[in-house]
Amino acid sequence: MTIKALQQISAGRNGVGAFILQCKRMDFHYCDWAGSSKGMNGFIKSLLPKFTAAHPQVEFSISPRPRKHPVIVAHYINGHSRSQCVRNLEPYSILQKAEELRDASGEPLRRVTKPVQSANPSVRGVWSPYHGEGMKV
Amino acid sequence: MKRLRLDRWTSPLLAARPAPCPASRPRAALRPTTAASAFSRGTAVRYQSTDTTPEEHIAAPQEDYDDGTDHVRFPPLEKLPPGAASLPSPPPERALRSAKLAALKARLALPDRVPLQTLARALVDASADQNRLFNNSSLAFVGQTFINYHVSEWLLCRYPRLPMKILYAAMKGYAGPISLHHVARSWGIEHAAAPGGEVDPGLLQFSMHKPGDAFVALGYRRSEADHLKHNKWRHSLSNSVVFDDDFGDLIDTQDQADKMRARPDTEYGNEYTRMLAENAYATCVRAVVGTLYAHAGREPAKAFVKAHILARTLEIERLFSFKHPTRELSMLCAREDFEAPVARLLSETGRLSRTPVYNVGIFSGGDKLGEGAAASLDHARAKAAMNALMSWYLYSPGENVSVPSDMLEDGAKPWTPAYIDMGEVVGR
Repeated sequence: MTIKALQQISAGRNGVGAFILQCKRMDFHYCDWAGSSKGMNGFIKSLLPKFTAAHPQVEFSISPRPRKHPVIVAHYINGHSRSQCVRNLEPYSILQKAEELRDASGEPLRRVTKPVQSANPSVRGVWSPYHGEGMKV
Repeated sequence: MKRLRLDRWTSPLLAARPAPCPASRPRAALRPTTAASAFSRGTAVRYQSTDTTPEEHIAAPQEDYDDGTDHVRFPPLEKLPPGAASLPSPPPERALRSAKLAALKARLALPDRVPLQTLARALVDASADQNRLFNNSSLAFVGQTFINYHVSEWLLCRYPRLPMKILYAAMKGYAGPISLHHVARSWGIEHAAAPGGEVDPGLLQFSMHKPGDAFVALGYRRSEADHLKHNKWRHSLSNSVVFDDDFGDLIDTQDQADKMRARPDTEYGNEYTRMLAENAYATCVRAVVGTLYAHAGREPAKAFVKAHILARTLEIERLFSFKHPTRELSMLCAREDFEAPVARLLSETGRLSRTPVYNVGIFSGGDKLGEGAAASLDHARAKAAMNALMSWYLYSPGENVSVPSDMLEDGAKPWTPAYIDMGEVVGR
């Protein structure tokens, strides 16, 4: 027996094969009385039915939050959640916020400095000093 | 030829009736006898079955679980059917009203022919509900044979020269319980704190306090299993092809039951409870594939396995661990009638320094088989031999190889024969 196996686990690549939207649940909270919820109430009446129908893969829940500002909470597959306060916003601005939350991955925001990020090894390989013509000094 | 009506085949799944189970029970010998006796039909009669319900059960439903909540002030979000809270798993009709379940179905892009009731059943582990008409063990059995068949045929066609050990490890890397657990997590499946009839049907339900008796693996418990484990008896690979499970692992239910009994009851669980949870998630993925196969047929299920399991990345070259690479390489060259391999120094630097680097190539006649660079000559030669062996073992006819199951489709392209290798260089 000269070969042994070292166990490895396959790694998922979302979008290779199947794409899973990372936002899995969205909670919309509103208040019936406060003025800061005026836009949110309009959004729930006019725009939310269409938004929910367009995203069957997201679970939606709408619940009152009396005497508080309206808020959208998005829950992601990686277990994180992100909340967005939408006080005093117009319905279409709230739609924009909801779309931002839908499109987020749930990862914490990071500054991207490299144009390409890849988990795959380089196709061309790493430069080696022992091959080729070498460098003339 | 008449068109096959797959939707008719699967109607028994929806109309689950508490009839005596068929006599063929795979791995019946493996089941703990307590589980069979614990399942008493009298207490497990379910009202939600499509069969006619006995009158006495309608007349006297069991009391719902009452936790002292003031239901006038905090009305329940969903009105439960009578007696639902005393059932071990949610009644199937509640599946139609679960937002989580509908979202999961849309997320997985399952076709409309897959009913929500069956998808809900795929989320009930055998440890939550022992009744096999309501848990996912039968679906998971179909799913695991389907997944393992497709993963193994793809691996065999894609890498025809893999040694058996590596093939088993690759199978486990793609379709083993840990990988499938990751798949289920990536689908956004969450589990309920404890199983029960009042739980949302869109949550995975399993119990960490009593192990389920789901059989989702083919294989036998060997009579000499204790000696294999404790006395380290040797057993051949061809032996494990027959006896062990699909990943070449020993089947040992007795040992697992012992571990279960010895489990300390901590709040956050231990390694064993984590293993139980992982297995429940993996079983759920298998059951979803089984559901898709039962209701939509072979081709959608195959596409699903390809998209969700085979599309994952596994670096097969990282599975290899060689013990005697140079010896194995010379045996390979002797078998294939190549000239005997010779290691030659290609270049070096800093021989007298603290950090020398030697670049060694292995040649068979005029052909360079492999090369490796290391800080000592021996190490560099071994690395070169490993590289040469790896390039032999990882031979692949191409990325998009055709597999035998492609031929089952209607209008399939003519079969191009797969490459069959003569076998491992050094057997065990």
